[in-house]
Amino acid sequence: MKHIRILHLYSNALDLYGDYKNLTVLQRRIAETGNTSDITEVNLDEVIDPAGYDFVYIGHGKARNLAAVAPHFVQYGEAIRTAIEGGQVWFVTGNARELFGQSFTTPAGETLPGIGLFDYTGVETNKVFVSDMLAQPAYDENARIYGFINRTAYLVGENRYPLFTVLSGCGDGETPDGKEGTLYHNFFATWAMGPMLARNPSMLRELLHRLLGEDYRECDMTLEEKALALVTAEFDKK
Amino acid sequence: MLGGGTDLPGRIALRLYPHVMKKLRFSGRVICVTGSNGKTTTSNLIAHVLRKNGFTVINNAKGSNLTAGVATTLLSACTLGGVVRADYVVLEVDECWSRFIFAEIPVDYYLVLNLLRDQVVRNGNPDLVFEKIAEAIAKHPDMTLILNANEPISQNLAGDYKTVYFAMDRTKRSTDHCVSGTNDCKICPRCFHPMNYEFYHYNHLGKFHCSHCDYGSHQPDFFGTDADFAGKCITINGTPVHVTYNTTFNFFNTVAAAAVCCTASGITVEQFAAGCADFHVAKERLDDFKFDGRRTVLMMTKQNAASLDQSISYVLEQPGEKSIALYINNVIYMEYKDVSWLYDVAFERLKGKVEKILCTGNRALDAAVCLKTAGFDDDTLLMETDMAKTKEAFRKTKGDIYILAASAFGNEGKILEELKK
Repeated sequence: MKHIRILHLYSNALDLYGDYKNLTVLQRRIAETGNTSDITEVNLDEVIDPAGYDFVYIGHGKARNLAAVAPHFVQYGEAIRTAIEGGQVWFVTGNARELFGQSFTTPAGETLPGIGLFDYTGVETNKVFVSDMLAQPAYDENARIYGFINRTAYLVGENRYPLFTVLSGCGDGETPDGKEGTLYHNFFATWAMGPMLARNPSMLRELLHRLLGEDYRECDMTLEEKALALVTAEFDKK
Repeated sequence: MLGGGTDLPGRIALRLYPHVMKKLRFSGRVICVTGSNGKTTTSNLIAHVLRKNGFTVINNAKGSNLTAGVATTLLSACTLGGVVRADYVVLEVDECWSRFIFAEIPVDYYLVLNLLRDQVVRNGNPDLVFEKIAEAIAKHPDMTLILNANEPISQNLAGDYKTVYFAMDRTKRSTDHCVSGTNDCKICPRCFHPMNYEFYHYNHLGKFHCSHCDYGSHQPDFFGTDADFAGKCITINGTPVHVTYNTTFNFFNTVAAAAVCCTASGITVEQFAAGCADFHVAKERLDDFKFDGRRTVLMMTKQNAASLDQSISYVLEQPGEKSIALYINNVIYMEYKDVSWLYDVAFERLKGKVEKILCTGNRALDAAVCLKTAGFDDDTLLMETDMAKTKEAFRKTKGDIYILAASAFGNEGKILEELKK
């Protein structure tokens, strides 16, 4: 049996549209596999020390909130880069991805630095961009992923570690290039917001595998599989 | 076109003369109403009360709240000489479109009811809507704002503008902790530090104060106290006022309407109270009928978690054995398959309180996944994606049926059609 320590960064600032339920789903499934977990929330003005955790999560937030937490996050850049390079499991959704690039622009027109783990830069548009996404994940070419993208920024720069091959919908950039998200060691990231892990059983399984290793047990995800199959069938109809 | 309101005449006029509304002259005052929740009901209530008090009023009933809808309302009402002759023009305006509408017409009073996460596909998040409303306000810096002192996001629109505030005191439904799954203002919109709440009305509405800076609930000019939900009554500045429909939303709408009517026309709260006595909420938002002899209530929301949470609160207060039917669809005009907003609804509150929850609509299975995440078991959950089998599916539920219909732009009525066939 394993105990998984979860770190939820900026739970009160980066918290849009059901994103936090990714952790509810993860915890429930960890329990179903006979393992245990706990969540620590760390917010602005508190110390980020990723070393003591098995899993780190950051969700999608309002652009002004992202700009407010970025200087705090960057202070811990070195520890965060070390943890990710060392294989810690991370899941990052929405605009929180901008924190990991070289820099990004804010609604006020400022340019803020990221932690420079990846080459990309983020560009804020102050306009809502919306896309459904059907994708094939890098960890399993037979799996299908549905994601809903609702963002006001995009990424510029080559995506060297894509998590998804996009079958329908947008990518990370201003124009679609067939790639979306990041999978680097055990660092998973996507623009898709909302409860990705609730709606995409393959992704939940992949994360559970990486977190639990030998303690992983198969869970019943029949309903989730059926729901996703109905969604992907609607793309096929088009 | 929203909610069945027709805007065709306005669309044609705007095509021919894009700034036709600029040519209009107004003999009276213009009141605009916006917000994530309650625009239609509140603007209808304001118009109703002003009429009852002897004023002539032109308003855009039934949600024609984009530029063309407003143009249709005004052009249909004006004289051949282009004069809109009424004591008051009361317009429900879409929160994202008000900046375009305000560029065309004069505005004297602007009520912003609230800002919450709402219709994610269209609106993104409340910050983006805030910026659009701020842009609208800047076009008429001399107008009077009417703002909600229980809502930290939209109260922050006040700036240096002339502002009248409304709020509600703690009620029997108020809570010390937020009962919603999450809320839109956990941190201060000014300094980003944690926001403290003395109590919550719902979601992030309540009496607030920042833990770090001096931003907090403003002293209200119109204050609702002694909310009596069973008796459908709230006391506003000392005067009891009848409320048509006893959700917390509607109590807020009533206090907001009082603030607008009294400020704009000079009537007293007593005159306001007399005027709202016979007001009725437009029927399409709340339908109460019989299916197989069982009480069936339809409640609408537009992909808005706070609104669905309010419907759940209403259901929980109803007596007797009951079931829920959730009606969840793609966002119809682009067929987006998103249900992320549903995960913000505190469905957990229904646990052990309802017999069955039936998921219908083309996203029925995704709704069921959401409910499983909330901890509901297979015995409680039913699902049916085939609309033709709606009646059959409803017969598997027990007790009174509360339909929580969440869809967007056009397919809201379909479940009723199936049930009434």
